Amino acid sequence: MATLSTDVLVIGGGATGAGVAWDAALRGYDVVLVDRFDLAEGTSGRFHGLLHSGGRYAVKDPHAAEECVHENRIVRNIASDCIEDIGGFFVTTPWDDPEYADKFAQGCRATGVDCEEISPSQAFREEPRLNPSISRVFRVPDANIDVWKTVWAMARGAQERGARVLPYHAVVGIHRTGDQVTGARLRGHATGEEVDVEARVTVNASGAWAGQIAEMAGIEGVRVLPGRGIMIAMNHRIVNTCINRCQMPTDGDIIVPMRTVCIIGTTDEHTDDPDDHHVPPTEVDQMLEDGEKLVPGFREARALRVWTGVRPLFEDAKASDTQTRDVTRAHALLDHAERDGVNGFVTITGGKLTTFRLMAEDTMTAVSRHLGDERPCLTKTEPLPGSEDHATYMLGERLERKEKHLADEQLICECELIPRWKLEEAIRRRATTNLDDVRRLLRLAMGPCQGGFCIYRAAGILHGLDGLSAEQADESLLNFLKERWKGTWPILYGDQLRQTRLDEWIFQGVLDVQHLPTAEAQEVSP
Amino acid sequence: MRGELHYDVVVIGAGTAGLVAGARLAEGGARVCVVAKGVGSTHLAPGTIDVLGYAPDRVVSPSGAMEEFVVRHPDHPYARLGVDAVAEAVRWFEARVEAGPVPGYRYLGDLDRNYLLPTALGALRPSAVIPETMTAGDSVVMDRVCVVGTRTLRDFHAALCATNLNRVGIPARSVEADIEVDRADQNSLGLARRFDDPSWRAAFAGRLALKLQADERVGLPAVLGIRDPHSAWSDLEHRLGRSVFEIPTLPPSVPGMRLYEILRSALRAAGGRLVLGGEVVSADREGSRVTAVSTHAAGHNSRWAAEWFVLAAGGFNSGAIELDSHWATQDRVLGLPLRGLPAPGEPRFVGDYLAEQPMSRVGVAVDAELRAEGADNVLVAGAALPGAVPWREGSGEGIALASGSRAAQLVLARSGAPAGAAA
Repeated sequence: MATLSTDVLVIGGGATGAGVAWDAALRGYDVVLVDRFDLAEGTSGRFHGLLHSGGRYAVKDPHAAEECVHENRIVRNIASDCIEDIGGFFVTTPWDDPEYADKFAQGCRATGVDCEEISPSQAFREEPRLNPSISRVFRVPDANIDVWKTVWAMARGAQERGARVLPYHAVVGIHRTGDQVTGARLRGHATGEEVDVEARVTVNASGAWAGQIAEMAGIEGVRVLPGRGIMIAMNHRIVNTCINRCQMPTDGDIIVPMRTVCIIGTTDEHTDDPDDHHVPPTEVDQMLEDGEKLVPGFREARALRVWTGVRPLFEDAKASDTQTRDVTRAHALLDHAERDGVNGFVTITGGKLTTFRLMAEDTMTAVSRHLGDERPCLTKTEPLPGSEDHATYMLGERLERKEKHLADEQLICECELIPRWKLEEAIRRRATTNLDDVRRLLRLAMGPCQGGFCIYRAAGILHGLDGLSAEQADESLLNFLKERWKGTWPILYGDQLRQTRLDEWIFQGVLDVQHLPTAEAQEVSP
Repeated sequence: MRGELHYDVVVIGAGTAGLVAGARLAEGGARVCVVAKGVGSTHLAPGTIDVLGYAPDRVVSPSGAMEEFVVRHPDHPYARLGVDAVAEAVRWFEARVEAGPVPGYRYLGDLDRNYLLPTALGALRPSAVIPETMTAGDSVVMDRVCVVGTRTLRDFHAALCATNLNRVGIPARSVEADIEVDRADQNSLGLARRFDDPSWRAAFAGRLALKLQADERVGLPAVLGIRDPHSAWSDLEHRLGRSVFEIPTLPPSVPGMRLYEILRSALRAAGGRLVLGGEVVSADREGSRVTAVSTHAAGHNSRWAAEWFVLAAGGFNSGAIELDSHWATQDRVLGLPLRGLPAPGEPRFVGDYLAEQPMSRVGVAVDAELRAEGADNVLVAGAALPGAVPWREGSGEGIALASGSRAAQLVLARSGAPAGAAA
């Protein structure tokens, strides 16, 4: 069995965990980052993509609002390549309490949210599809963030400083000697091979799964209540500004334009299992209904994909009773030396994506204390790889490039304008055979055809590049199709059903994918 | 309203079923017009005549498997049509191919045995009647195969195809062909136009010959000519001195476009008319009869009155049948009742990608003679019919040919046209 030795082991490759690894690497520590699946495949990769202005929390949770204001400014600067400066509106619809708008304006003033009331007619000029019966509009500095790009930029930045990043390595045990946690045992997803990591400090950044990891270290009472929410990606930029309902945060009150699509979110249902990804049909209907309130005709757009994410809602069984969800959206840093008398182990959970950098900073400041050489945090100013010029992403960048190289670049994914060289580079860099990993890196197959055309091409290119066996290429293709279907079938209607029929014709009719040798082998085995 | 036109029969839909119905009606002496929003699935499907490929195991002989198949699927279009109707329609079709606009191009095969043809992924797909240009790919023959690809065509990956063929025991390898093109991206149609050019083709064959080994069949993407594919294919066989066969690519499908041209030509040769670009937006009815449909194109409506209508507009795939965001399903063309819907409360789709989806068999409700429920003078053909899952069964063209033919025969028989004119 291989053994790795490091200063800091980070368990959980979401935005927080990758942020901790990036922070640790910048402070000059040796770090190992592990995740049971791909980076940002859990909660981080399953949200709507909003970098909060703070407006959402201005009334309900002023402290969270202030954190968002602060972090929004920093993240725009350090992760600019992953950010699109879409701006946001908070709008009062006929279904919202009209008195909330003044409370909102007041809350924004009190918490420092940069908020300006504009006339509805100005808002309609900028967003002509908004519901014409909207009565008040506030402009805030919302942005969107490509979380996969952000997380991989942090991971890559850490790697450049010596960090080791191990996606698809599940923690199967936490090593503990007396009152000291000394690392963890990992098992590789593909090979089943185990790896021991000896670490001076182990960081549990596993979000909604933090209780499970803490239990492996023999620590009780880290209760993370997973709050499941659904999100639906629609096939257009129905709006180009993030649209928030001006009311107390509730279900289905936000539409976030994200690259070529718009995402509506979300619901909030308690679940006992953080791996619960089922999509209740009633919640789909509710999202479409809520979308219609903000943008009449919303239902006529194509729903491309639905997914669920689980918020980690932290409830410390050892602390005083914190009942409401509102309180638990704050992040929680548990130093288990203080809390449980267990050294070398820190848990970071709760929180929200906008504050991932702050969560990482708080965590590493505590870890640095454990390591006895309190080094300063550098993540406030150090740009992530790719964001050195501090220029935010512009929708249309890919199209502009494509137009310049019309004749000399082969386009693999028409929806997301991904040229062949970019796909080949991503496959080489990740050394992956999993097309779903490539999807997250490049947004491959995230557009209207949901992989109907590009995934056969990508499988062919993957097979050719890596000298992959046919078994591996077929498995990769089939797994992608099955994975895609999970997000497709609950929202199939209208033209997207038509699109899906075309995709079925291509894969099941033209290519006969279900009768590949792999599929047949799978059918006969129990 | 741009104007009113009157025909004996208006066929809605220009896929295989609609064009077959139109051509056979015209041949039977009817004044017929095919109106459609656009071309049908010919441009997407591989261009083969699939009759029955899976039931659900791979079918060796469609005619042999049909009897048991219709017993198990009493609501399937084949249960109404019968295997003889499919055979008759295939014979009609083969004759139209030979008389058609593509000189020398032929379809081979019959309903007694399926060919097993490599897909672009290297799976083996059963099909009954296929273009001659694909026959050497039949995997009943286990001779060595060299699959030839080119980087410029992103819709065909030769190496992946060849390695998968190896897995099913067919000795195969792949080579990359050098192709003279002016851009990094070519789709199948763009390449097919190059293959129509004899001198370009000769240069291609000269370079490819150097890479081939003795005794290899050559599998190429199905791009061997669009205007004159027979010449392109036989020229390559001659120049390379071996069997050459086409393998269907991702859409657009070149063999499918040839098929479309053949059927369109049959329709026109018989005096039928084809009008594309007009979506049916409304229908006029008198009691249980449809008297006219209106199409919309370029800002104008046109009204098409007729004694009979053949509805061959497809299903969900074409948008003719729609499931809306309130989960209501409707025939968007004529508003006719549907069959094959999951019962209320039952799932419309299931989470297993490879399983049959409950919404797969939805179509316009018909009686035993393909007459639409609630519309006495509307006959239904092709993918608009309920009860089939053609992309899983490998049955799309068999259903389209037989039901398009049957609809034509029923109309001709009832409208007093000269007996036997459609045969």
